[in-house]
Amino acid sequence: MSVTRAALRLAAASLAVTLSLATPLSAESEQPPKPGGTLEVGTVYVTLSALSWDSADWNWKHNHDTGQVYEQLFVADLSKSRRLGGKHPFYADGWIPSDAIRGELAEKWEWKQNPLRLEINLRKGVMFPDKPGVMAARELVADDVVFAYNRLEKSPKKISGYFDHLEKVEATDKHTVVFTFKNYNSEWDFRFGWGFYSGIVPKEVADAGAGNWKNVNGTGPFQLAEFVQGNSNTYVKNPVYWGTEKINGVETKLPLVDEVVFRTIKDEATYLTALRTAKLDILETIRWSAVEELKKNAPQLQWSKWLNMSGTFLSMRVDTKPFDDIRVRRALNLAVNKREIVKEYYGGNAELFAYPQHPDYLGYFEPLEAMPESVKELFTYNPEKAKKLLAEAGVPKGFTFKVQVCSCSPDHIDLIPLLAAYFEQVGVKIEIQTMEYGAFLSAMTSKTNAAGYLMNNGHTNPTTTIRKSFIRGQVWNPSQWSDPEYDKKMDAVYLEQDESKRQAMLKEMTREILDKAPYVWLPTPYIFTAWWPWVKNYGGELRAGAARPGPIYARIWIDQDLKKKMGH
Amino acid sequence: MQVYLARRLIALIPALFFASLIVFVIVRLVPGSIIDMMLSQNDVGADKLSRDQLIQTLGLDRPMWEQYCRWIGGILLHGDFGRSLWQNTPVSELLRARLPVTFQLGLMALIVALLIAIPIGIYSAIRQDTAGDYLTRSFSILMLAVPSFWMGTMVMVFPSIWWGWSPQVKFVAFTDDPVQNLRQMILPAVILGTALSAVTMRLTRTMMLEVLRQDYIRTAWAKGLTEKLVVVRHALRNAMIPVVTLIGLQAPILIGGAVIMEQIFVIPGMGLLLLDAISQRDYPIITSVSLVIGLSVMLINLAVDLGYGLLDPKARYR
Amino acid sequence: MALVTDIAVIPAGKERSSVIHFLVRLFREKPLGAAGGVIFILFLLCGMFADFLAPYGMNQISPRNRLLPPSWAYPFGTDNLGRDMLSRCLYGAQLSVIIAFTAATLATVVSVAIGILSGYLGGKIDLVTQRFVDAWMSFPALIILLVVVSVLGPGLPQIIFTLGFLLGIGSSRIIRSAVVSVRENMYVHAAQSIGASTHRILWRHILPNIMPPIIVLFTTQVGAVILVESSLSFLGLGVPPPTPTWGGMLSGSGRTFMFQGPWLALAPGLCLTVVVYATNVFGDALRDLLDPRMRGSR
Repeated sequence: MSVTRAALRLAAASLAVTLSLATPLSAESEQPPKPGGTLEVGTVYVTLSALSWDSADWNWKHNHDTGQVYEQLFVADLSKSRRLGGKHPFYADGWIPSDAIRGELAEKWEWKQNPLRLEINLRKGVMFPDKPGVMAARELVADDVVFAYNRLEKSPKKISGYFDHLEKVEATDKHTVVFTFKNYNSEWDFRFGWGFYSGIVPKEVADAGAGNWKNVNGTGPFQLAEFVQGNSNTYVKNPVYWGTEKINGVETKLPLVDEVVFRTIKDEATYLTALRTAKLDILETIRWSAVEELKKNAPQLQWSKWLNMSGTFLSMRVDTKPFDDIRVRRALNLAVNKREIVKEYYGGNAELFAYPQHPDYLGYFEPLEAMPESVKELFTYNPEKAKKLLAEAGVPKGFTFKVQVCSCSPDHIDLIPLLAAYFEQVGVKIEIQTMEYGAFLSAMTSKTNAAGYLMNNGHTNPTTTIRKSFIRGQVWNPSQWSDPEYDKKMDAVYLEQDESKRQAMLKEMTREILDKAPYVWLPTPYIFTAWWPWVKNYGGELRAGAARPGPIYARIWIDQDLKKKMGH
Repeated sequence: MQVYLARRLIALIPALFFASLIVFVIVRLVPGSIIDMMLSQNDVGADKLSRDQLIQTLGLDRPMWEQYCRWIGGILLHGDFGRSLWQNTPVSELLRARLPVTFQLGLMALIVALLIAIPIGIYSAIRQDTAGDYLTRSFSILMLAVPSFWMGTMVMVFPSIWWGWSPQVKFVAFTDDPVQNLRQMILPAVILGTALSAVTMRLTRTMMLEVLRQDYIRTAWAKGLTEKLVVVRHALRNAMIPVVTLIGLQAPILIGGAVIMEQIFVIPGMGLLLLDAISQRDYPIITSVSLVIGLSVMLINLAVDLGYGLLDPKARYR
Repeated sequence: MALVTDIAVIPAGKERSSVIHFLVRLFREKPLGAAGGVIFILFLLCGMFADFLAPYGMNQISPRNRLLPPSWAYPFGTDNLGRDMLSRCLYGAQLSVIIAFTAATLATVVSVAIGILSGYLGGKIDLVTQRFVDAWMSFPALIILLVVVSVLGPGLPQIIFTLGFLLGIGSSRIIRSAVVSVRENMYVHAAQSIGASTHRILWRHILPNIMPPIIVLFTTQVGAVILVESSLSFLGLGVPPPTPTWGGMLSGSGRTFMFQGPWLALAPGLCLTVVVYATNVFGDALRDLLDPRMRGSR
């Protein structure tokens, strides 16, 4: 065919591809939302059942399962999502951009000095629904916030030092809570506000037994109706929920759907099948290898893709030889053909550079092009230079080291022989030790992990991503990185009240650690989310708080006519 | 009979005791303690204080023998199997939810296995070495030779692509909605059953062949009784004896081992409970579930032996 | 798993010519079983000579050649890392041979040891041993395997060891009943009455006469071990990749890439199914021929 026709075809194809990845806006913005129906969701954690219903267990997954029942002081402002014309995709698992935070239970808040304190005025008329056997319906008051905080603070499972920045928390009147600070901490709202451990659990539930799912009762848009461990959580509409939202220009009472069901399915083939046959309305975590087939067999699915909120890397213990020499660590980075991994191993569905800072962290992330040469070099493939560096460091003939990998990650199991092949080219041999999940995790926590440790680590947020991995003694620090100067810089970040100054400090710290290469930095894969077209007012957003999708589901409505028309 | 029963029941006790002890100790020897795992949940440094506090809260600071006695004592005196270390739910609640599911799946699989195996076994014995014998036996062995996880995957995935249909994977208890429940359970039961049928079929065939050679069968032939009568009245009853024994042998698989089917078809049974508990090192669940499984299997075996005794008078006075 | 509760025995007869006679009978009377036996031998040979037969290395990664369909260069195609599937299946045969044969041998040794101990000595020893077997068998194999794999880490030796023991204890009952029936034979009594040592009796009289069930058991256990390893791989407890076991390939990349590359699952899957099927029909044929009760109306 002629060049013009070929070009036109190519343009049409790329347009089709782009459209299939973009979310449809025009049709949706016409219709007013209609309440009713059940939303079946395979969340990001589709393979994991609820681990705990009690906030005092300090379990990271608590928000995910209770975030639509127990509310928090702050929440993400979903009106700022990209889908509605804003900047933010709301994929991050432990971060809300500071310009996208709004009050949930808090109506307004004010900082006061001498002593440093935060005065929060709570929303009025927020009701706890009636829960037979546990509590009668009543209004949420400041004492509830104080109680929830104190319960977390006094829990034997508390993360030590988590609330050390706070002096006390008290209710000055029925709807005002005052947090008195010992010193400023830039993570204050993450630690108690919209973070992992910020749910407001009332006293009555705690007395009845907060760990029993049957007692769970909160002010949120949904109530927990049923929990079949290992299979599903069913949430029903809270009839006395206070929240409303402007959807398509109409002020709508939330939530819209009658029921939300979280499905727990361990097996990948099974949850993909459930999506394919519309038994799941939304599936939030789809590996790139499954996308092509799903697009073929369920072409009406809507898609979004997001960069994994977790960095992949091979950690090298800097307290053992020869990894105490930076040249060796840099050499190993140069020995791996990362671009080839992106192109051939991930089929192009990965990014070369997305860790420690995540590209979604606007204001904190600097792309590779903006990095200094010595950092950029680490992402090039240069086995000759690698060999030279190794010779300089005193190991010209290479060496052997043990690498531990978890059998729980099929991706890593496949990746490790690939890495072994690259290393072999520069004379470095690895001994692969496959470990089962518990033993693998324990090796890291007890700091007995091997010299090489292939793992994933969640970004969480721009500050935590550095702190959890590169500060001395931290749990998620398998390389045993220990630099007192660096630690001091981290402390300074926490004390800094000005966000733009913090951003600059973190950028500098990120550059430094990238350059020092305690890890072999590896590409980050894309993950896909898909949903059926009858799921409305949704664009693939994942979290509206720390591991908290509840508010997103509260704003979804199901076009039941469309669903019937499509034959489901 | 009563003496035999009593003797067998008493013999159970030391077996169970040793079993519980072994499981209890071994599980705690496994590397990767639960404390490490819990501490890794929090990404702030796990200092000695939080570690000790956690150990104490979970009751893991007491000496091993004391923990064991508390656990066994709880079971024997209060029927209390302890609490999950992660979720703080009573283990007895978990058992109460999961055990009936596993029993149901096992029973359904067993019925399927027998429905397939016995007719094939009998047919193969009567028509030994004919094409029919080969075909039916081959089918049965083929079902055994294809790994169950692959069967399960194919049954799950391909109908969804060809016909847009997939099995229901939202669990509803049998007592709440039997139809819905069976719709979820029938496929894994069939897959499990067909895989088990090969063994049963083989055994039925063997016993039928042996019985058919017996003199009294020849006599019946000689007397001119029809084949059907000969088979049904004489051969079948005796051939059933080892089949009953086989049920006992399959018991551990059915009770604890259908984990692959549970995983693929999302059935909240004992297998997955055990698997998850082991990977999370939730000791009370692991030890209690193992004990319950062990006890169930031993009781089933006892029932089988009693049934065996009922069917074959020769076996009664061993 | 292949489990048989009872196989009768015949007295050990003349050795040499009966082997050839036996093979003739096998091919003539049990063609299916004979075919199974042939496949069984072929698989053994492929496993033993995998190093010579395989066109590529076991772990020869070549990302540019990933997911190629079967062709002359790659008869079984390539996997997601560009490794040749034919070579990996051949090495898989080698591994399966190693695992299955070693585990089945261990299982046989264990069952024979327990069976003889329990069956011949009888009395209190029998009682205690059988209770021990009861207790052991009432545990799901899963927990034992999981614990072993957790303690020792996923790996080849521990899987062989555990499977061997588990299957061995499970099959000990069969050997035991065989021993019990042989024990009552006239010539054993004769040997005992002339004061032959227990050791001699076990070695010269009991053991040769329980060979038929041992042989049959062995062949079926080979198939059982291969299947169990594949199940373990599915649960993440099998021999860890990149070592190419058929079960590992089938449950891992076979399932992930079943649409982009069905050959990733078909190649190891067919190998696995065919070999397990073959060993089973072979074992059945052996049993039919060796067990006098099974002889048809001829």
